[in-house]
Amino acid sequence: MLHYKPTTEKQSHIPLVIVYALVNRYHILDIHPKKSWVRNLLDQGLEVYMIDWGMPTNMDKYLDFDDYVNGYLDNCVEFVKDEANVDQVSLQGYCTGGTIATVYSSLHPENVKNFVATAPVIDGWRDTTVISNLAKHIDVDQMVDSIGNMPPEFMYYCFSILKPFEQGVEKYVKLFQNIEDKNFVDNFMRIEKWLNDTPPIPGELFKQWIKDIYQENLLIQNKMYVGGKQISLKNIKMSLFTQVAVGDHLVSPECSMPLHYAVASEDKTLRIYPTGHVGMIASSFSQRKVLPELGQWLKERS
Amino acid sequence: MKTESTQNVAEYYKHLSLFWTDLIHLMSTKPQALTSVGPMRNFAENSKKIAAQLIDANEDLMEFNKHLTKYYKQLTDTWMESQKKVNFKAPEIPNDTEQYEAYKRVWIDIFDNDFTELFDSEKFGENYGKLVANELELTKHWNSIMNVMLKSANLPNKEELDEVYKELHFLRKRISKLESEAHKKVKRTGE
Repeated sequence: MLHYKPTTEKQSHIPLVIVYALVNRYHILDIHPKKSWVRNLLDQGLEVYMIDWGMPTNMDKYLDFDDYVNGYLDNCVEFVKDEANVDQVSLQGYCTGGTIATVYSSLHPENVKNFVATAPVIDGWRDTTVISNLAKHIDVDQMVDSIGNMPPEFMYYCFSILKPFEQGVEKYVKLFQNIEDKNFVDNFMRIEKWLNDTPPIPGELFKQWIKDIYQENLLIQNKMYVGGKQISLKNIKMSLFTQVAVGDHLVSPECSMPLHYAVASEDKTLRIYPTGHVGMIASSFSQRKVLPELGQWLKERS
Repeated sequence: MKTESTQNVAEYYKHLSLFWTDLIHLMSTKPQALTSVGPMRNFAENSKKIAAQLIDANEDLMEFNKHLTKYYKQLTDTWMESQKKVNFKAPEIPNDTEQYEAYKRVWIDIFDNDFTELFDSEKFGENYGKLVANELELTKHWNSIMNVMLKSANLPNKEELDEVYKELHFLRKRISKLESEAHKKVKRTGE
């Protein structure tokens, strides 16, 4: 886990724990000083902790939802509570990390004061992306039995069929057009390095993920079980801030928004931004629009 | 679906191959008697399993090729259809930078839309699922062959390693739970 200290004199009392997605690495949230999600929050006086899930090996193939939620994430939250001397934390989950944070908030609501769900994967049947189409048609039992962890190459394939010509052709045309521009090339390389730094996903976790979220859609129906306990979204009663992007081609807004309506929180806010999945967290737009709103919302409740 | 003649040929080669494997196995029992231990004896004993896996893998390979051909056909058909749309919308060949940019935009938009529609379709998802399933079947055969070879060399195979990983996983989980309970107890009692 990484710990970032606020850069301002006036600081919020409740620290924020960021649960990053299991696909790709956490450093997209601090990829460039001018587009850093973390730095912006620090400049707003928030104390930030971010979880690095690391690189699972073959030995980790039996790690499942229970290990990530009731093991790793719970350990992190308990550690932050001890270190910051607080009874509750603010929790932010991004993408698949949003799903893990949702399950955690349902199972351990006493530990979460504020919950921020950024493009979370919630309602798999409503997801209109190509990812969900593939996920619905793969035999995940056979996959995990044969190869163990889900290899990064499978994710690279999935990425390659998302806007294949915009991403596969136009992106490189733009690179060559701007090859003399040091800043452009620097940004391009940072993003490319991040895109190609995908860790494998532990087999059992991947299996449960695909079956429960995409194929059987159990989470939104309150029928999912983690560590022998049923997950009810009605247990989420803390303040909730849901962020979705209209142009998200990885997690469609229809897949994320049901969280807002399914929880029992009275204090809840839904924001829909005219940007994409990565644009929402690492762009000048996010610095200008998304982060000031989030910071303000958190500060009012911390 | 396989034709009857293809099936007959496959069956013929399967029987022929198993006949020879059996024969070699029987012949090899003589030298085995001389070297009654060691990897070569194990290997000779298990070679029939490898042959059976290779024959089954061949059948899966045929299925895999069928779905791979369908996969590329879907891509090619969509490409042709998209190109037709581009030609209809922008029939002139661009001859300056501005025209080229406009042409490129049209090309990318049409291709992205059509390919996203394909990747989102039931027919693509179904064929892709079968393609991956066949590929995984091939991986399974490869794993089984490796298991036979590893067993011959008295080395742990995938299943045995998986058992160890599983055991380690439960041990780690148990230790972590005990640590967490101990930590909570210390916090509660202040000892």
